[in-house]
Amino acid sequence: MITAVRTPESLAAAVGHAAAGGRLMAGGTVVMAQVNSGSVGSPELVSLRRAGIGGISLDGSAARIGATTTLAEVEESPELAFLRDAVRSIASPAIRSLATVGGNLFVPQPYGDLAVCLLALDATVEIAGPDGSREVPVDVVLANGVAPGEVVTAVRLAVPAPGTWFYHKAMRRKLNSAAIVAVAAVVGTAGGVVTSARIALGGVAPRPVRAVSAEGVLIGRPLETDVLDEAGRAARGDIEPFDDAYASAWYRARVLPVHLRRAFLG
Amino acid sequence: MASQVVNLRVNERSREFLAAPGTSLLSSLRDALGLMAAKRGCAQGSCGTCTVLLDGRPVMSCLVAVETVDGASVRTLEGVARDGELDEVQAAFLEGFATQCGFCTAGMIMSAEALLDRNPDPTREDVVEAISGNVCRCTGYGPIVDAILDAAARRRP
Repeated sequence: MITAVRTPESLAAAVGHAAAGGRLMAGGTVVMAQVNSGSVGSPELVSLRRAGIGGISLDGSAARIGATTTLAEVEESPELAFLRDAVRSIASPAIRSLATVGGNLFVPQPYGDLAVCLLALDATVEIAGPDGSREVPVDVVLANGVAPGEVVTAVRLAVPAPGTWFYHKAMRRKLNSAAIVAVAAVVGTAGGVVTSARIALGGVAPRPVRAVSAEGVLIGRPLETDVLDEAGRAARGDIEPFDDAYASAWYRARVLPVHLRRAFLG
Repeated sequence: MASQVVNLRVNERSREFLAAPGTSLLSSLRDALGLMAAKRGCAQGSCGTCTVLLDGRPVMSCLVAVETVDGASVRTLEGVARDGELDEVQAAFLEGFATQCGFCTAGMIMSAEALLDRNPDPTREDVVEAISGNVCRCTGYGPIVDAILDAAARRRP
């Protein structure tokens, strides 16, 4: 039973309501579904819709995306065009006009494909709380969440250089389905060999994970089929796959190398 | 906390009503305003039959807490016809036999309206993406996609 829905018009007020125990809600795609099924677990909701923490800004290649920026706004942003395929692989248009970048950090796998991208991009998360603001790497937020009373206000990332961004998502149908395996990566090459690699995986663990074993295989070698197959097999050491209605844990591990290869070679 | 007064502009008319805490936009449209086109299917954002336009964008109205969108503009299927005449999408659905049981139709048409507002000349692929969140359990997707493409053609000068 919901007894109050707050729609604070400032970040400070939102932090205050959150610190008082209200359940934060951004787009509502997760929380309202729980409200509708009677499972939300908190009598008070705090909407971030009017807290003034949306919008995309760019300074050179440094992008800052406000937490309540919707996935539809990311999809339409010319500055963030490299993320368009990834965002369009998430849910459907009527969900993307509600769901937010900040909220995506808190959805359970196999959802949260943008969070997988943010992990590959080594994004920084800006957080406001009752005791001031802090910044942490996105992997810390994905692993630990934020403290009660804290509000994610923005993510910051460097737009990858042309040709260094890779994304591929395997799902049960072409659109509007959760990840069986999602692969996001920033991989730089020079002289035909990989010089830097940051690969993140979705759908294969309770939260988005780095494929550090695969990254190690790629460094110093060309992005070719046999190298990528070896990297894909190595990546099985980085995952904790699970069974759900979309795929079994066994299947996820089985097809991971295929999709890791397809992320780079199509 | 008591119910709250909410103001919305619905289909070009100002509407004021009371909403209990946590009421969805869908419930407000149906229960407070008597607008029954948007349907309650799954209440989880999975089926799309509650799709309406919120400030011009398609949304699952079951996932919108109505108190958080006070002052917004909403367009439902009831606001699509003009002066008693079906609009191009409605006419194309009717003439193209794009409804079977009809339960998904209101959401399908609103997703189509949202698409054509932004993209008057969509490809078949664009249409499929636009209705990717709208489930038709009669599985009549072929005629629905054809009807939306037909509506786009009817709208072209």
